[in-house]
Amino acid sequence: MSVFMDLNLIYTGDRTGLRTLLETAAHRESSADDEEIVSSVCKHLCLYQGRSRPIRVLNRLTVVMSDSSHFRPNATEYRSFDLLAVQPTTEKLFHAACMLYDVDIICISVSEKLPFFFKRAPVNGAADRGVVFEVSYSAAIRDSTLRRYTIANAINLMESCKGRNVILSSAAEKALELRGPYDVTNLGLLFGLSDGDAKEAVCSTCRSVLLHAETRKTASGIIYTMRSCSDSAGQEGAPGDPEHGGSIIDSQTIKPSLASDD
Amino acid sequence: MKPADQKDESPVYQRVVLKNASPYHYMKVCLVLENESTRLSAVELKQFIITGLKSLYGEVGAALNFDVLKYDADTLTAFLRVYSRGLVKLWSSLTLLGSYQNQACAFRVLQVSPFLLALTGNSRELQLD
Repeated sequence: MSVFMDLNLIYTGDRTGLRTLLETAAHRESSADDEEIVSSVCKHLCLYQGRSRPIRVLNRLTVVMSDSSHFRPNATEYRSFDLLAVQPTTEKLFHAACMLYDVDIICISVSEKLPFFFKRAPVNGAADRGVVFEVSYSAAIRDSTLRRYTIANAINLMESCKGRNVILSSAAEKALELRGPYDVTNLGLLFGLSDGDAKEAVCSTCRSVLLHAETRKTASGIIYTMRSCSDSAGQEGAPGDPEHGGSIIDSQTIKPSLASDD
Repeated sequence: MKPADQKDESPVYQRVVLKNASPYHYMKVCLVLENESTRLSAVELKQFIITGLKSLYGEVGAALNFDVLKYDADTLTAFLRVYSRGLVKLWSSLTLLGSYQNQACAFRVLQVSPFLLALTGNSRELQLD
């Protein structure tokens, strides 16, 4: 089983609040993720001691887009972040983000009723590429109107994507807005996921997001090492090379796979 | 179940699924408040949870029967009992409950089990020295 992760904690610039938040996350037994608006990296993100071992704290950038010029692919500022997320506000941008943009996470906004419906085509396209959709739940804790929007948008999303490729995370600004991993799994049931999908939304899909982010950062192409059935140790993924030894790596396997390989 | 004296060529597995093994589910919850010196009585706690159910599920949710079996007012820890088909509703309304009398709060669900005996031990609190 993969470790629990919360991939969205808001960076507010308040150091003590941030520290309390990360300590709470460590005791809630999850890995945490910091979202920064400015590109300066938090230098003293020291190790937070969780229950049994320290949690990992990562950097993430979320770009709220209302225009296609807001997100510039391959910009150098994006290199210092581990995870890249995009929040489209119109249908065209959503379609573009699903099919084209080089991001890891597409956020579903919770502060408004979505003006567009999710179509199967971009959602399936995003699933094939390894991009996941994210629903944040802490707005539902703060305000009852936002609660209705969160649940409505989440249910809409689940109907189109059939419960795969979804992660649930808090967008917590304070320590009291965090919830434990099993509580979030239960919220997944509320949003229309099945039992297994809800658990996956908190652990193994998050892990596949991290792997996808690594492949995005490390190479413009994809490097895939696979243990081959013949005696050669590891092979670089060269699509369509059947003369090479006894192992055949067909091009279908060369993509960041979403299945957890633990 | 095969009798023990029959020799098996290959192992045969049988999965036994108990549906509705227990009519109730028991939860151990702890309320964490922003102002840590606030104290609630057991009645106030139950009323607070009922308002949470009502704000998320309406009157039908507020009619869900649950019991506060034990309550420790110093640590704000309570044992709740609910019918198994109402577990998801109660648990999700505890999760989404955010404010008590204008201060921020959070319900930390420590343990959930269909058997009360299982709530006596908690391997997460285990200290191995």
